[in-house]
Amino acid sequence: MASSSTPTTISFLSRKNRFRLFGLTLDDCIRTFFGGNALISVVVLALITFFLFKEGAHFFAQNDRNLRIYRQAGLEYVDFIRTQSDDHTALTRSLSDLRVRTLNELTQKQNRPLAEANAALAGFDAFAGQFSDAVDPLRSLVSDLTEQATEIKTKFIVAGDKQEERNQLLAAGKTAEAGRVQIAVINFQEELKPLLATLPAYREANQAFATQLKAVMATAPTLPTPELQGRMDKFKAHTRDYLATFPAVEHKLETWDYLKPVPFWQAFTAFIFGREWLTASFWQDWYGVIPLFVGSLMVSLVALLLAVPLGVGAAIYVNQIASLGEQRFIKPCIEFISAIPSVVLGFFGIAVLGQALRALSQFTWLSWVPGFPFSERLNILTAGCLLALLAVPTIFTLAEDALNNVPRAFKEASFALGANRLQTIIQIIVPASLSGIISAILLGLGRVIGETMVVLLCAGNRIAIPDFTAGLGVVTQPVHTMTGIIAQEMGEVVRGSIHYRALFMVGLVLFFLSLGINYLAQRIVRRYRLSIG
Amino acid sequence: MVIADPLSMDTRSSVPTPRPTMGTSSLATAGDSSAPASEILIDIEHLDFFYGASQALHDITLQVEAKKATALIGPSGCGKSTLLRCLNRMNDLIDGTRIGRGTIKIRDVEINGRDIDVIELRKRVGMVFQKSNPFPKSIYENITYGLRLQGVKTKAQLDEVVERSLRAAALWDEVKDRLHASGLGLSGGQQQRLCIARAIAVEPEIILMDEPCSALDPIATAKVEELIHELKTNFTIVIVTHNMQQAARCSDRTAFFYMGRLVEYAETRTIFMNPGNPQTEAYVSGRFG
Amino acid sequence: MNAPATAHIFKARPTTARRREKTSFWLFRAATYLVLFCGAAVFATIVVKGSRSVFQAKAPFINTTFFTEAPESLYVFEYQGKKMELGDKAYRAFKAQNPDAATVKTESYVYSAGGIFPCIVGTVLLVVGSMTIALILGVCAAIYLNEYARDGRFIRFIRLAILNLAGVPSIVFGLFGFGLFVLFFDWNVSLLSGWFTLAFMVLPVVITASEESLKSVPKGFREGSLALGATKWQTIRKNVLPYALPGILTSSILGIARVAGETAPIMFTAAYVVRDKLPWDVEKFSDFFFQGVMALPYHIYVVSSKIPQNEYTERVQYGTAFVFLMIVALVATTSIVLRNHLRNRYKW
Repeated sequence: MASSSTPTTISFLSRKNRFRLFGLTLDDCIRTFFGGNALISVVVLALITFFLFKEGAHFFAQNDRNLRIYRQAGLEYVDFIRTQSDDHTALTRSLSDLRVRTLNELTQKQNRPLAEANAALAGFDAFAGQFSDAVDPLRSLVSDLTEQATEIKTKFIVAGDKQEERNQLLAAGKTAEAGRVQIAVINFQEELKPLLATLPAYREANQAFATQLKAVMATAPTLPTPELQGRMDKFKAHTRDYLATFPAVEHKLETWDYLKPVPFWQAFTAFIFGREWLTASFWQDWYGVIPLFVGSLMVSLVALLLAVPLGVGAAIYVNQIASLGEQRFIKPCIEFISAIPSVVLGFFGIAVLGQALRALSQFTWLSWVPGFPFSERLNILTAGCLLALLAVPTIFTLAEDALNNVPRAFKEASFALGANRLQTIIQIIVPASLSGIISAILLGLGRVIGETMVVLLCAGNRIAIPDFTAGLGVVTQPVHTMTGIIAQEMGEVVRGSIHYRALFMVGLVLFFLSLGINYLAQRIVRRYRLSIG
Repeated sequence: MVIADPLSMDTRSSVPTPRPTMGTSSLATAGDSSAPASEILIDIEHLDFFYGASQALHDITLQVEAKKATALIGPSGCGKSTLLRCLNRMNDLIDGTRIGRGTIKIRDVEINGRDIDVIELRKRVGMVFQKSNPFPKSIYENITYGLRLQGVKTKAQLDEVVERSLRAAALWDEVKDRLHASGLGLSGGQQQRLCIARAIAVEPEIILMDEPCSALDPIATAKVEELIHELKTNFTIVIVTHNMQQAARCSDRTAFFYMGRLVEYAETRTIFMNPGNPQTEAYVSGRFG
Repeated sequence: MNAPATAHIFKARPTTARRREKTSFWLFRAATYLVLFCGAAVFATIVVKGSRSVFQAKAPFINTTFFTEAPESLYVFEYQGKKMELGDKAYRAFKAQNPDAATVKTESYVYSAGGIFPCIVGTVLLVVGSMTIALILGVCAAIYLNEYARDGRFIRFIRLAILNLAGVPSIVFGLFGFGLFVLFFDWNVSLLSGWFTLAFMVLPVVITASEESLKSVPKGFREGSLALGATKWQTIRKNVLPYALPGILTSSILGIARVAGETAPIMFTAAYVVRDKLPWDVEKFSDFFFQGVMALPYHIYVVSSKIPQNEYTERVQYGTAFVFLMIVALVATTSIVLRNHLRNRYKW
């Protein structure tokens, strides 16, 4: 507009006479500088994603190789038989468990002396001994085959190392040295021949094993009480089922082919759905995230189960019920709890809480609690209790905020209709702030699932899916967690190894899990805002 | 003002009569009214203004004369504050605002043009807000804030401006002994006059007042009104007010707004005594609003 | 009032609803105080047991070696009917004096003698460096978000990123720092790697705190300044930042507690289990930034998981936890007190 005026009026108010850099005024420069800083959080988030992927992505290629050699070197073949033998071991274990129960019954309930009770169990012992010995031919076969397969695998790995060495020499320009590196070519078909040749021997051993088991089962002793006899019957049924699987195993062995391709997605599914995390093993490494994931989940669930009632209850109390003086006292105290470093809590768990809980579980009058008594002082429960203390301040603060945001008018209207405070809280205030409370709980979950030091120190660090058949008692078992495994193993692994990359993949799972939880919490809050305004 | 002077020399060339320079002299020569009543300082033509999708101003055409107090009245939400904030582009600070159509010219310069320096504009078009907003600094620093921004550092010069502005704002006698006390320690009316003094200190040509007395008690209001009366000898004042008596007392011309439209614009006397529009009459006689 | 109590209609009567209300209020109260009790229990245990190794009965009442020495191994043995507990250096001197002591059966516990001086130094260095970085980045980002940015897709995106960054587990920050700083930038395990890892971790805390403080500066200050012809930057520098800065700093102290308290991010980026040299024993200045340090939280992790628990090791375990908890508690209390103080002071 001004350009149409006379030149004299243009200079009035014109911004052209200001200092400029690259066509930007000073203010624009400053603005750009601050904007750049604001972008940093975006950049960091992107970098986190990028570097987790960068270090982790090769995992799939390596795991694919890992799985392929598992098949080609015949390890898979051997594992079929090994599983069969391991299943038998599990049955033997349940048998010895049954013996302990029977002995307890005889000595404690029937008050017989120990020697006499043992004598009474002589028949049982003979049966159990025969049952456990029956597997011997199969077991020796497995150990022979294990050696053979390991040998093939070692050859293959050595060849791989040589190849790597040659590549490095070539890359360094040392062609002559590279030529001198001998790389053995592995002919899997030839190598596997002796392994596969044992099939008739297996059939024979298996036959003998089955006959022996059936013969033993016929001699099964009867047990003194109906309850124990019921367990014995269950054991028999299990054994029958076990025997029924034999033909299937044999069929699998017959049709096994080392050339059967390993599908590319197996490297992925073996990680996501793999039920075993086994590293640095002489036989075969497995990188399945499920035991770690379940561990993290169990610990978090226990923590939330404790933290939600306490945190939300405290928030309601402070926001609606407590006097002003109490509020002034409680709020900073809870804030203070949130400042306790997690490693100190972890130390407290190791030094005090673990033992205290174990001592508590030993009281006979508490033996009705599922899982009590337990002997592992570091377990899901110990870690869960401490994590609950970590989660309470988060849940408390956010839930209190949500309660605070409920318009006063709601409360006043309810009072005016003659409702008392409890009715107002339960029927008006909590429902109105429900989504805020839920998102507080979700953020508490995020805090707990990402916590490292407490679970590393207090969860027991046993890498196995806890035994859910124990019912609620499962919480007294030790587990390992996703965060814990990274912290524990990252310092020790070889850079670039499959194990190293697997840990980054676990980190990636953790990262996306926390993003998901965060996203969910935000969505819930946003919906809540819309419904109020 | 030192920096603005050469520029105002330019602008003055486009109007026939030279206005008194906004320097020391102008304040000294209070009561001087050499400018003719017909000089148009602000010229708004066919202005449409939007907050996001909703239109706040419809086709406003209004001329504000120099050295006069112009009052904008009307019920809440009628757009009078919006129009006021258009004049120094304070609406830029609010998200989603835009001008749909029309022009606002100050001394024939379109202030929404591409090459307008908003900073320079705001130096020349000062503003006093509804809620007094002294900075949490001393009285002295509050008044010299604008000058210091422009690089004035000489103590003598600053001292002089402080005294002159405070005198002009009729606050000097009350605060001269505690210039270095916090501005927040003053009473509500004093705070508002401090804000006026602060606005005067940068020597704007126009002072916009957005309901300056709405938070004040009657005595403080009276003082501010008196002040407005004196200020208009040197400044062009545009004042938004809810209080019709106030408009009647201190303005020369009055514009009545309703629902984002300018209903009537005339001499204040006319508006209150003999309004041309029935809506205006209903409003000024207190039948609605 | 002489009338019988039942006379008026508003007389309080015991009803089921009233009883229920009372019971449930007690339940809520119990939940609240249970939480406080648990916190207090943790705190008290560590304070009581830890103060034994930090304080002593004799003057100067504080176990100075614990604060000024580096960790050493502890040797426990019986010599000529006397039970001896000696630190590494003392044990060697003792052996030199009494050569036959070498044959005595000796139990040794790593890190259980000496003090934790290098850990304190390392933690302080980590906190100072990372908070400096985080404050610079965070305050600038907050200024942009609160002062310059207009609501739009871009800003919503940035806010989303900040929110999500706040939810990323600390161990993932550790992995990230390891991947980017330690490996990619080749800074190795160093102060610099730790600083940036920790700084990015607390960035959301600092941004949120800074934004809150900036928001609490009344809009009138900005409008008043702009209406006087100040540029945006002049307005921010002279009329917004000075009033927001105390708030920014106090709220950021809470970030310090977080930085000091986290172990997982520094495990692979900055912390050494043990290091003989103190951080300022460097040959050239630049080496200072590229050295790993010992840190209190990591030391607690090491002494609580890698050495057995008994009467000899308890001293260093509880002592370290006590000192660490005290530092963090002090920081947190300062923050809480200062913030309440500030809230009362500034009311515009």
